[in-house]
Amino acid sequence: MNVIQVKDLTKHYSLGTQTVEALRGVSFGIEQGEFIAIMGPSGSGKSTLMNIIGCLDSPTDGTYHLNNQEVSTLEGDELAGIRNKEIGFVFQNFHLLARNSALDNVMLPLKYAGVDKEGQLKRAKNALSQVGLESRMDHQPSELSGGQQQRVAIARALVNNPSILFADEPTGNLDSQTGHDVMQLFHNLHQQGQTIILITHENEVAAEAQRTIFIKDGLIESDIRKEKL
Amino acid sequence: MVLQESISTAIDSIRANLLRSLLTTIAIVIGTASVIAMVGIGSSAQRAIDDSITNLSARTLSVYPSRGRGSQKISAAPLSISDADALIKDQEINWRVSPEIRGSKSLKYKNESISISVIGARESYLSIQGYEIDQGAFFTERDDLARKRVAIIGSSVGTELKTSSKALVGEEVDLGGVTFKIIGVAKSEGSSGWSNPDEQIYIPLLTASDRVFGRDRVDSIRVEVPNTYTPEEAMISIERVLRREHDIGPGEENNFRINDWSQFTDLQKQATAIFSALLIGIAGISLMVGGIGVMNIMLVSVTERTREIGLRKALGATHQAILLQFIIEAVTLCIIGGIIGVIFGSSLYFLVTVFQDWVFTIPFSAILGSVIFSACVGLFFGIWPARKAAQLEPAVALRYE
Repeated sequence: MNVIQVKDLTKHYSLGTQTVEALRGVSFGIEQGEFIAIMGPSGSGKSTLMNIIGCLDSPTDGTYHLNNQEVSTLEGDELAGIRNKEIGFVFQNFHLLARNSALDNVMLPLKYAGVDKEGQLKRAKNALSQVGLESRMDHQPSELSGGQQQRVAIARALVNNPSILFADEPTGNLDSQTGHDVMQLFHNLHQQGQTIILITHENEVAAEAQRTIFIKDGLIESDIRKEKL
Repeated sequence: MVLQESISTAIDSIRANLLRSLLTTIAIVIGTASVIAMVGIGSSAQRAIDDSITNLSARTLSVYPSRGRGSQKISAAPLSISDADALIKDQEINWRVSPEIRGSKSLKYKNESISISVIGARESYLSIQGYEIDQGAFFTERDDLARKRVAIIGSSVGTELKTSSKALVGEEVDLGGVTFKIIGVAKSEGSSGWSNPDEQIYIPLLTASDRVFGRDRVDSIRVEVPNTYTPEEAMISIERVLRREHDIGPGEENNFRINDWSQFTDLQKQATAIFSALLIGIAGISLMVGGIGVMNIMLVSVTERTREIGLRKALGATHQAILLQFIIEAVTLCIIGGIIGVIFGSSLYFLVTVFQDWVFTIPFSAILGSVIFSACVGLFFGIWPARKAAQLEPAVALRYE
């Protein structure tokens, strides 16, 4: 069963009098439990595709089924609900709230989901132990290393049991060792059955995934599945 | 997201920019402080005035001859000593009556000569006016009936004659060509606005009438009415006696007028009320200005926190959740300003009551009102920045640099 099924996605932006076609008809499916990398140079439409798949934006045309639900026609708060329940985001620069503890940061999606306080604490602690940071849950982001901050962000992404873990250049701000550790964490999560979409422009990072989609000029240039070793 | 969460988020972000937040609320602080101080001071002043009125054992009415006014021809019948005597004889109200003859004469002592305001009065004048004698004695009823040439001087008359008032007791002076003996000095009263009792000379009424001014027409008659009667009841009685004395027929207008000096305290109360209302209006403007300041800083805050807003939206924050977060932040900011203002205003009010020896009462309704008003200012001026925040596109906001 496909978690994600997109068909003929297009996205047009109007810049003054000009219309920019960021996506010109993209179709693909992602199966449950896949670990996939999306690659492409800047200006290729990669970011636009990511925003649409991440439910941060809506396509101009085409269809997008997430867990068999048509989401391309949703907007505003409906999309916010989808993001909250179905998608876990991990960003290049972590995007943690600086004045909140690791625990509070991880609890944030649960607050927006309307989970009660007790449930928030339990699930957030659980998520932090999944990334090996339960001992640092009272620390603020400034008291954590870059790798630890990214792991807090991953715990936050996982806390609502999303269908998709969506990572945008997750190792871009980390040194190679810490980056490697974070990638290892992704592999572990993948082995537990988590669907992961990785956005990157680094070949080494993309090589970690089972499948790589290359985007160029708003179209899919190639869609390569690695043979299982 | 629950309200409690929004409030703690708001307090967190206010704490993060504590100095800026406090500076932002200054206008709110000033506005609220002035409201609290003005309402408090106003009510205490009012109470002090009320107390001083009820503490008076009696109120004084003054009767003056009427001046013909406008086209209405009123024969300007003068008030006379016999009018005063008729009032004294009337037993309906146990009032005290003090007719006065006033005029200006020259006062000579040795080589010095000054122009002085002369008051011819009965012996009751002293107590009705509430004046006291510093040295010597006031004249008596017998001095009056005997038309004695005795006088009491105000405390600063002596200095004007290049000597001291005390030294003048027992001395003879020349008042408008008549020789008088100074028998007493009144205690200093201070100027009362349009006349200064310290610079006046007091002589018996009949002496003034027969020997100094040569008229039995009096300038005013003071009537001190006990508190058991209302001023209105007293006015009706005075009118009845004087209309009879002046032979005024039914339907004709009075040729005298009666003033109730306590009306001035009413005027004073009104003036105080208008003054407070004006200051509260200014305080209101200050609160509005404060609100604009808060709006300004909230707009800055929204811009600064664009990425945070983007993140919150990416994690599932709804339009309403973001709107609520920023409105609550603005309202909290204003309420904090309001509370600081209440503390400042109450302290100021307390200090004033200490110095003025007034009663301090915590102005609960003003405190509640001004804090609620501050909150409303925050609500009103927070809506626009909060809407701006809530309308941010998550994808754009996340990448905002």
